[in-house]
Amino acid sequence: MKTNGYGFWIGSAVVLALACIAAATIKNEYYFFAAYIVVQFVVLATAWNILGGYAGYVNFGTSAFFGVGAYIAVMLIKWMNLPLGLQIVAAACVGGALGFAVGLLTLRLRGIFFSIATVAVTIILETAVINWRFVGGATGVQILRPPVMEPFDSYTKMLFVCAVILAIIAVAIARYIETSWIGRGLRAIRDNEEAAECTGVPTLKLKLAACAISGALMSAAGAPLAMYQSFVEPASAFNLTYSVSALAMPIIGGTSHWIGPVIGALLLGTVQQVVTVTISSELNVLVVGVLLVVFVVGAPQGIVGLFVKLREKIKGKNI
Amino acid sequence: MKSIRLFAAWLSAALLMAAATAQAQGTSGQPIKIGIGIAQTGALSGGGKAALVALQLWVDDVNAKGGLLNRKVELISYDDQSSPAVTPGIYTKLLDIDKVDLLIAPYATVPTAPLMPLVKQRNLLLMGNFSFQVNHTVKHDMWFNNAPWNDASSWSDGFFSTGGRLGATTVAFLAADQEFAQNLANGARELSKKLGLKTVYEQNYPPSTVDFSAMIRAIRAAKPDLVFVASYPNDSAAIVRAVNEIGVGPSVKLFGGGMVGLQFTPIMESLGSMMNGIVNYNTYVPGMDYPGIKNYFERYSKRAIAAKVDPLGYYITPFNYAIGQMIEQAVTATKSLDHKVLAAYLRKNEMKTIVGPIRYGPDGEWASPRVITTQFRGIGDKNVDQFKLPGKQVILSPASVKTGEIVAPFEKARK
Repeated sequence: MKTNGYGFWIGSAVVLALACIAAATIKNEYYFFAAYIVVQFVVLATAWNILGGYAGYVNFGTSAFFGVGAYIAVMLIKWMNLPLGLQIVAAACVGGALGFAVGLLTLRLRGIFFSIATVAVTIILETAVINWRFVGGATGVQILRPPVMEPFDSYTKMLFVCAVILAIIAVAIARYIETSWIGRGLRAIRDNEEAAECTGVPTLKLKLAACAISGALMSAAGAPLAMYQSFVEPASAFNLTYSVSALAMPIIGGTSHWIGPVIGALLLGTVQQVVTVTISSELNVLVVGVLLVVFVVGAPQGIVGLFVKLREKIKGKNI
Repeated sequence: MKSIRLFAAWLSAALLMAAATAQAQGTSGQPIKIGIGIAQTGALSGGGKAALVALQLWVDDVNAKGGLLNRKVELISYDDQSSPAVTPGIYTKLLDIDKVDLLIAPYATVPTAPLMPLVKQRNLLLMGNFSFQVNHTVKHDMWFNNAPWNDASSWSDGFFSTGGRLGATTVAFLAADQEFAQNLANGARELSKKLGLKTVYEQNYPPSTVDFSAMIRAIRAAKPDLVFVASYPNDSAAIVRAVNEIGVGPSVKLFGGGMVGLQFTPIMESLGSMMNGIVNYNTYVPGMDYPGIKNYFERYSKRAIAAKVDPLGYYITPFNYAIGQMIEQAVTATKSLDHKVLAAYLRKNEMKTIVGPIRYGPDGEWASPRVITTQFRGIGDKNVDQFKLPGKQVILSPASVKTGEIVAPFEKARK
């Protein structure tokens, strides 16, 4: 697929403008509550795809980074009452450092062994938070939202616009990685790590960079959770559902292109939101599982792959 | 010309009257919507499903009487998956899309906590549903909890006052390292200090613990007079089994206190005689008589069996029915659905419910807590019906509902 720099930034500006217009005109807060979750998953899925999609390292530790982001925000609120923007920046820094550290320890493992190690990270961090009384420990902590900032009339709308900005930043970073030498290096690692190493690709450095960037974005996505829920407790902040969804969305959308995780998150996130309040929450989890199996078996390249195949077919017919 | 004007005036008046009638019919014809997000899946679903059966029973009862303010009552419920992450979205949908008139909180503390800032921000009445200290930080003045407790010590007061009467001087604490259990244990520690008891053993265990044999042996070695346990359902069952196998020694006068799960029918049925002698908290047991409660349980039991939920439902369900009764009393008395008006009524007046009269304190919790402390006696194995009989759980405290005296020490009471 060709990438058009201007087109991407114009598209991003349009999306942000539409989000702001929606926040200014739509009174019903429910849409923003639901849309926030969907956009949050765009960030998580895009972040997951940087390491999982481009480099082929399947990370089950999304919930660890997400939970760390949430708890960094909680800590900063309780400690210094810092504003939301600084909470997100701090969470991204800590998430990046954590990603780097976790990468150093685990990236020498491959395949299923790496995945198991990332699950362990979630369990270790959740246990640490359970025993950290300052942030509420196992009990959790209630957070009172500060007054909303101008020009917003509700905190939820502000969080939604904030999530859209985060999503644009995440997608822009993923797009840059994909189209630059970093992306080429990561793809070489995914296809054959030994061959990449032999041809001079700095495999460990690239994997560490991918892990740190991915971790930073996941933690940044977790930071607004404290204000979104007004309550954070370890079981929900470190919930494995985040890991499963962040993995399922790029696989459904397609891992080879930056738009894949976006499509997957918008599709699956929206379906999950609709199913939760219409049919049954049990089906919500089932939907993820069934879609994942269907796409892995029927369309391993995801929706993007299907689209590429369709386009090639049409081209072939025209020739 | 004059006749045309007269005709136009009549026509206008007729149209206005028709519009007014249509509007009035529209309001009175529409049901009063009550919204709730309640666990139907996840860890809290056992209680959530039974609670929903009780609430639906109240809705059917009130509709059979003609509804409220001559309008039918409709309960709109969503599954919160036992997760606090889902609660804000569900309640915003209830308010902004479903346009509910009144709100009932989710079952239990964790899913309720995220809801408190939302209702405070929007100035909404919220009927609490078995949560604990959830209004502690937010201090919302339109919150009314249905559960018969207020602070942490109200749970374990009966256990320690009974222990004090038995001349206890030492205590051991065993608590799950989780939210509710830790709050409970903290309240118990305060009461223990007040009584001047010496702590000879103290252990917090991870929530995933399945083997308690080492802890029970350590308690036995410490030779305490009282053993206070704050545990969750699965842990409670495992602890009771460990005690049954190993024993806690002859020094122990009382064992139990804050064991969640020993109130749930499937666990009580499964443990059977192993529970004999345990002194534990509860909210309702057979033998406590309030107007309408027997009739309620007869009807609840039929529905619960059909819905395949807790067939006895003593612990939670009558308090859920009571939420409906309180709404009914407040709406009928004030003839209003205005949240401020209803909250003012609930704050000032005594509520008449199937779990007895309820008066609220300034924090929206019961002004006089009524958590009961009971001792299991004469329990046999594999018999659900025995739990319907008074005397199987003897009430030791509070004095107002007391049905018997403590049998101690623990080893003697187990026989």
